Amino acid sequence: MNGIETRRLSTKVILWILLAAILVLYGFPFVYLLLTSFKTPSDAIAVPPSVLPNVWTLENYVTALAKDGVVPALINSVVTAVLSTLISLVLAVPAAYAVTRYRTPSGRVFVVAALVTRMVPTIAIGAPLVETMRTLGINDTSFALAIAHTTISLPLSIWLMASFFEAVPDELEEAAKVDGASRLGALWRVVLPVVSGGVAVTAIFAFLASWNEFLFALLLTSVRAQTTPIVIANFQTQFGLDWGAMTALAALYSIPVILLTLLLQRHIVAGLTLGAVKG
Amino acid sequence: MRVTDRRFALFLMAPAALFLAAFVLWPLIRFVSNAFYDISPIAGGPRTPVGLENFVNAFASASFQGASLRTIVYTVVVVALEFSLGLVVALIFASLGQRSAVFRTIFMYPLMIAPVVAGLLWRFLLIDNFGILNELLFRAGILQSPSQIGWLSDPNIALFSVALPDVWLTTSFITLVLFAGLQNIPGDVIEAARIDGARFPTLLFRVIIPLLRPVIAVALIVRGIDAARAFDIILIQTNGGPQESTTTLSLLIYRTMTRYGDIGLASAMGTIYLVGMLVVATVAIFAIWRPGDAR
Repeated sequence: MNGIETRRLSTKVILWILLAAILVLYGFPFVYLLLTSFKTPSDAIAVPPSVLPNVWTLENYVTALAKDGVVPALINSVVTAVLSTLISLVLAVPAAYAVTRYRTPSGRVFVVAALVTRMVPTIAIGAPLVETMRTLGINDTSFALAIAHTTISLPLSIWLMASFFEAVPDELEEAAKVDGASRLGALWRVVLPVVSGGVAVTAIFAFLASWNEFLFALLLTSVRAQTTPIVIANFQTQFGLDWGAMTALAALYSIPVILLTLLLQRHIVAGLTLGAVKG
Repeated sequence: MRVTDRRFALFLMAPAALFLAAFVLWPLIRFVSNAFYDISPIAGGPRTPVGLENFVNAFASASFQGASLRTIVYTVVVVALEFSLGLVVALIFASLGQRSAVFRTIFMYPLMIAPVVAGLLWRFLLIDNFGILNELLFRAGILQSPSQIGWLSDPNIALFSVALPDVWLTTSFITLVLFAGLQNIPGDVIEAARIDGARFPTLLFRVIIPLLRPVIAVALIVRGIDAARAFDIILIQTNGGPQESTTTLSLLIYRTMTRYGDIGLASAMGTIYLVGMLVVATVAIFAIWRPGDAR
């Protein structure tokens, strides 16, 4: 129990009521999005608006999924996010391990550089990246977009993984090495299994960073590799203002990651706060 | 340390270092160097070195000055609102103890939503004729007519309206970080202050906030950097309008580059923006965080 926890009943009651009010306000926008997605397209933009649908229908979902490019964009989003997560882990795990285990000066420079990367505006590297990808001949592919997304997730992944490795006692690998394991073998077979939870947390964050990213996707894709956030944004120009279908696609795109989060919430809270609190 | 250990460490770090060099550092160098050229928007077109001309033009341009000011206002508004709300909610969670665990999870959900979806959703809530927010305020008797407030169409308030979804989206982050920090405050410190007769405001400002300082610093710096870079969440709501009132630096740079095709000027603006961000972040780190300051 922490020292802030209150013991007075009246304070508790007031705080619970306040919390309930905040949660209702906080939850309302997304609930309203869901409710709207089940309205008929004309009800969705009726004046005056109503909170609940008059008629419950899946019409908006059917319309949204039938639109050109929507299903490929959903597939692209999954492919890009998975690729970016893999690249991010393959690069971040050994780097973070080296930084925590062998405290070389270059390691410290490396962590600072990785954090400064976070301050670079996306647009500053996005435009030159387009040229790089064109030179490499991979412009408008999920692979190129995954590389771009990894520039966002890699610094965060290194930071997160470093704090997980920090918690592993040195003795563990020493014992493995005494038993004849190589340094790489000790990392792969002894240390990595211990931090598997941390790897999972890092993977979730890398996945989310790619799944929700917009500007790189806008700059680096045109037709083939377009991801869902771009398609959602295009709904307002390409297809007129079809709010109903747009809310349906937005809901469809958000629900899987929200569910994933609720399922893995304990790990995610750990990941979100670990880096910050350890600072 | 044995030399072989150092080599092994370098071997492990090399892939990530090379990746960042190739896909962050190199593009960044190209971007900054572009600021010193006049570049034809046609691919393969001529590059004429112009010295500092782009920087001079950037500083002299009214739209750059306006966008810089709006970026600062936007960042300060977002971070101030998020911090106040985030701290209040974190304190409520901490005061209610373990029973609030489920609600902490619920409170976290916006963090997973794409900024573009959040922007779209709030535009839908705030839109003039069929927005639900004005309608609910009207029904509650607060507004005289459901179209009284033009959240996103009134240039005087649009910059504050576009900040709302950002606040909604990421206050949870501040709450989670501060909540975790609150858990680390030893119970007997607060107990001692209470026994000394400290009332809640004194406790908050004299004991809790000073103890949370490093955590608060990290939360504010991380969020400040992200808010200053906000792009899609504003683009989808207003596209920088009405009358440029929500055109922040990232939107202006994007527009200068893609719509006006002035890569040199856009790069100069971006370089100024990046340097400004580095300076502010560094000052912030040393002013509030004070790394190494008595742990």
